[in-house]
Amino acid sequence: MQVIENDLIKEKVYIEKLKSDLTVMFIPRRNTKKKYITFGTNYGSMDEKFIIPGEKEITEVPDGVAHFLEHKLFEQENGHNSLDVLSSLGVNANAYTTNNHTAYLYECTNNFYEALDEFMNYIQSPYFTDENVEKEKGIINQEIGMYNDQPDWKVYLNALEALYVNNKVKLDPAGTVESVSKINKEILYTCYNNFYKLSNMAIVVVGDFDKDEIFDQINKRIIKNENTTIAKKVVEKEPEVINKKEIYEKMDVNIPLFILGIKDKIENDNSLNSSKLQIRKHIAIDIILDILIGNSSYLFNKLYDEGLIYSEFTSIYEYARDYSHILIQNQSFEYKKVVEEIKERINYLKENGIDNIEFERMKKKNYGMYVKEFENISDIGNNFMESYFKEINPFDFIDESQNIDKQYVERILKDIFIEDKMITSVIANK
Amino acid sequence: MKEEIINIKKGIKLHLIDTNLYKTDLSVIFITIGLDKKNITKDVIIPEILKSGSNSYKKQIDISNKLNELYGSTLETGTDKTGKNLVLKLYTENVDDIFLPNKDRNLEECINVLLDITFNPLIKNNSFDEKYVEIEKERQRMIIESEKDDKDTYAYDKIINIMYNDCGYGIKRNGYLEDIDGINGKNLYKRYKEIIETGKIDIFVSGNLENKKIEDCIKNNCNIKLLKDRDDTSYLNDITENKKDDVVEIKKVEEKMDVTQGKLVVGLDVIGRRDSDDRFKILLYNTILGDGANSKLFRIVREKESLAYTSKSNYVVQKSNIFIRAGIEVDNYEKTLNLIKEQIEDMKLGNFTEDDIENAKRFIYAGIDSIKEEQNTAIIFYYGEEMSKNKISIEEYYDKIKNISRKDIMEIAEKIKIDTVYFLRN
Repeated sequence: MQVIENDLIKEKVYIEKLKSDLTVMFIPRRNTKKKYITFGTNYGSMDEKFIIPGEKEITEVPDGVAHFLEHKLFEQENGHNSLDVLSSLGVNANAYTTNNHTAYLYECTNNFYEALDEFMNYIQSPYFTDENVEKEKGIINQEIGMYNDQPDWKVYLNALEALYVNNKVKLDPAGTVESVSKINKEILYTCYNNFYKLSNMAIVVVGDFDKDEIFDQINKRIIKNENTTIAKKVVEKEPEVINKKEIYEKMDVNIPLFILGIKDKIENDNSLNSSKLQIRKHIAIDIILDILIGNSSYLFNKLYDEGLIYSEFTSIYEYARDYSHILIQNQSFEYKKVVEEIKERINYLKENGIDNIEFERMKKKNYGMYVKEFENISDIGNNFMESYFKEINPFDFIDESQNIDKQYVERILKDIFIEDKMITSVIANK
Repeated sequence: MKEEIINIKKGIKLHLIDTNLYKTDLSVIFITIGLDKKNITKDVIIPEILKSGSNSYKKQIDISNKLNELYGSTLETGTDKTGKNLVLKLYTENVDDIFLPNKDRNLEECINVLLDITFNPLIKNNSFDEKYVEIEKERQRMIIESEKDDKDTYAYDKIINIMYNDCGYGIKRNGYLEDIDGINGKNLYKRYKEIIETGKIDIFVSGNLENKKIEDCIKNNCNIKLLKDRDDTSYLNDITENKKDDVVEIKKVEEKMDVTQGKLVVGLDVIGRRDSDDRFKILLYNTILGDGANSKLFRIVREKESLAYTSKSNYVVQKSNIFIRAGIEVDNYEKTLNLIKEQIEDMKLGNFTEDDIENAKRFIYAGIDSIKEEQNTAIIFYYGEEMSKNKISIEEYYDKIKNISRKDIMEIAEKIKIDTVYFLRN
């Protein structure tokens, strides 16, 4: 068993690969009743093309299968819906699908092991029928409809569409009403059988448990899973260039929403292979975004005082093995001017460098931000799950944020914040 | 975890929650005032204008720099309608000293920033800075004009406004467009002074308080020393206040907008006399009806009939209302509404099982448990009890739920009537 500790935030994680090839991570929390568990598979909405072991042809499935599978896995052969069963135990159960992974989870204060029986059983025992698959389409179509009415979601999807030519990160994980109509039980079984293999999955559990007991209890609930080869994902080659400079769409919104997106190059040469390097880059980008458009930045305060923006910017750096981008979002009637000002400020910072005092302050600020990610047990669980599939160690954020130096951050600014790699996505009023 | 209450002055209380469960400390100032249509627009702008500068930190950027220096401490402000009141909320959250590389005094520093921003604003000639007032007025105008962008929230706010009109709880939570122009630095400051002099003030500090002299830190703060006694009894929420004896006719309102999905909201009212324990019965009723995956609305409207992805209800305790919400295909309006009516009727007829009751109770217990292990949930619970005429402890809360019988639920169901149906459609 591997143990990773962090003295500053006084946390540790125990990691073990069970005989069944399932990886289990346990983060202890003393003197709390609340417990959290998440069971994830390294399979998400992007994984639509793959080669099944023993086959030569590529199998391609409609958009939205991973998400559909997530909804349907709760259905059991005995007629029960596992979500109902878990809820009736007083536990708060849910599931989510991202571009690159799917996870099932629950949080509770009581009945943890009773719930674990149902939880580990349903994820390992799919039961899809023509009837139950058809019935789900109504619910999923309403979910798609709900998101379609949200300008935030549209401006985000359009930004990804502008950034990527081929990469499937740009798809709506739920698919479309049309693609969902093509999904059937055979497709669901194919994806399930090829990606829900224990060697492709992980469990993260957080709470006040005896270490040996929790590993033992999880191990006991494993249903044999013999064939451990998983399908080979087919990823289309993504050019370094952006797809479209701008995507503009009209919706029923008052103030236009915009995203300035920056496409980062994918590190194919494994130069960022280690967790520490990957995280150092992430921290550098967080610091740059703070200095560029954060609440204490020159530019944010100028634009706010001029009445061009009404709220703080939101920004995010998203990446996985085959995509990587930065998104900066806000609302403005004069979004063109705001975007131009951001670009000018980037050039100014590139030419003049980053101020020392500001840099030191932002190091402190980000240290605090990273510590806060270890507060809530569900955040901790989700963070370790996501990091596991990304092959990074979340504790590295704590240590690396103190070690990072200004020259490195300035280099990242010059390497990544490049005009040619920038797109804008706009949702304007009708 | 226990709450210790210290009376600072009449109408001003300090609530200390000492706990070592968290990495952060949370400090909150709640200022409770009456909801009033003529003041609401000013009231919602005030927390925002306070963030633009204080006497110690003259500009917004100075506040941000200070908070970033304190290891990314955050300041959040906002307002909330709670029954007949409006509460102004100012929060700071900081990483606790024991998790910092250098052992600073983060919490005390943060509290001082929070008190300074709240009680020591930047004032010139009895006026807030006109420049910042203009910015915040414009910002508020945008917020009001953008209300339609989020259709779910719009539909929810709309039904409340229909049910209560523009008085009390029906007052629009973002204020009114027509009142923005008349606001200036002087009258906004006048309103601020009224709030600070008459509002009920509750300061909460939660976190690792051992070896920290928080009580002294607050009592000795010069801004706190300047505050005077005030009468706070009129703000207490009394759920037994009678509203109406019956609903004669269900009000139906439809509105058209450019939406993919129709948003159906059904507003329920509890009629007749209520006693103070009814809030627990209504809570249990609502959980069986529409809260969580075991509820009737989830199982029937969503899982059985596939009509919606969102199908749920929530209970507004201070006003004794339940709001049912469903996102549906526009053509399924009648069908969904009939199904919802059937569920409400079933609650009256006692068409729910012992399991339904037990599941709902467990669901509520889990919520009560989380009060003990979520910092913000604890503060909200204690503040809610502070504002309630019949206060209870966490332990009493469990017992109240445990003792509710099937008969109690059916009795309460008799008093719950549909008041208004609102449908946002294309």
